[in-house]
Amino acid sequence: MRPSVVVTIVGMAAATYLTRAPLLLALSDRPLRPRLRLWLRLIPLAVLPALAIPMVLLRPDGNPALTPANPRLWGAIVVLALTAARANLLLSVAAGVVVVALLRHFGF
Amino acid sequence: MKGSFPLVPSVFVYATVWGGLARQAGLSLDEIALMCLIVTAGASQFVAVPMIAAGFPPLAVIATTYVVNIRHYLMAATLAPAFRCFPRRWLALIAHGVNDESFALAVARRNPPDPWFFLGSVVAVYGSFIGGALVGSVLGGLVSDPTRYGLDFAFPAVFLALVAVQLKRRGDWAVAGGAALLALWIAWRFLGNWHIVVAGLVASGLGALIMRPEDA
Repeated sequence: MRPSVVVTIVGMAAATYLTRAPLLLALSDRPLRPRLRLWLRLIPLAVLPALAIPMVLLRPDGNPALTPANPRLWGAIVVLALTAARANLLLSVAAGVVVVALLRHFGF
Repeated sequence: MKGSFPLVPSVFVYATVWGGLARQAGLSLDEIALMCLIVTAGASQFVAVPMIAAGFPPLAVIATTYVVNIRHYLMAATLAPAFRCFPRRWLALIAHGVNDESFALAVARRNPPDPWFFLGSVVAVYGSFIGGALVGSVLGGLVSDPTRYGLDFAFPAVFLALVAVQLKRRGDWAVAGGAALLALWIAWRFLGNWHIVVAGLVASGLGALIMRPEDA
């Protein structure tokens, strides 16, 4: 095990435990305030695209790759279209991966 | 535990995919096993792997993990009243079991949730998650050139699919789209890797201020 990776994993574990334990141990009967509940529900909706879209639309050097010759763009469209059509999550992901692999194979 | 069996195959496959990708991203078998045992939070593990592979500093990965997992507060607060009669020492351990699948199942079945049903579900979900990840990490060691098969794209693909199934209200779309644009701009204009945490917190915070609280 690489020391820096172990530090990362232990830190991830501590950060995650910090999201799970406090409110369970508090045993409070009072429900969370509605606006706080709303914020907690919205966080993953904001974090996931913030993570995914730059991976799709930026090159590793940080410059935009907003052209039809970017295989990841087509993969992302396929994943979103299939998920919107209520396809199974893993099926949508697999289809996106296949599209990207095929486009790369044919020289994009 | 039996009530959670329908979840087992999908959790197992999801974890197999994660284990395979983690291995190809250069994590060793013991690093993968350690993460599965002490973090045990699928979405954040998907998020962490490409960051670790790209050599991000530990603090950036840890901060991003925290933000991705903030949603646990909501689940823990909802579960808390059901665990009133449990000794606190147990609760410190049970807390590690808070996860999306068991929570969704337990709350859908009875509200307030049955604590024993929830615990059985945690055993089923964590068992299949850890088992799947180990199988995947062994299989993942067998594929030599992941980009050739488009497997590097599996990470953004999982994130997009996870968010697409959660978009329910118009405001949700605005938050997701706004976060994507903000992250794109930050990642393009500024070096470093804080675009995920900054865009995630700003877009969700603005959404929570502007949307009606009833949209929770």
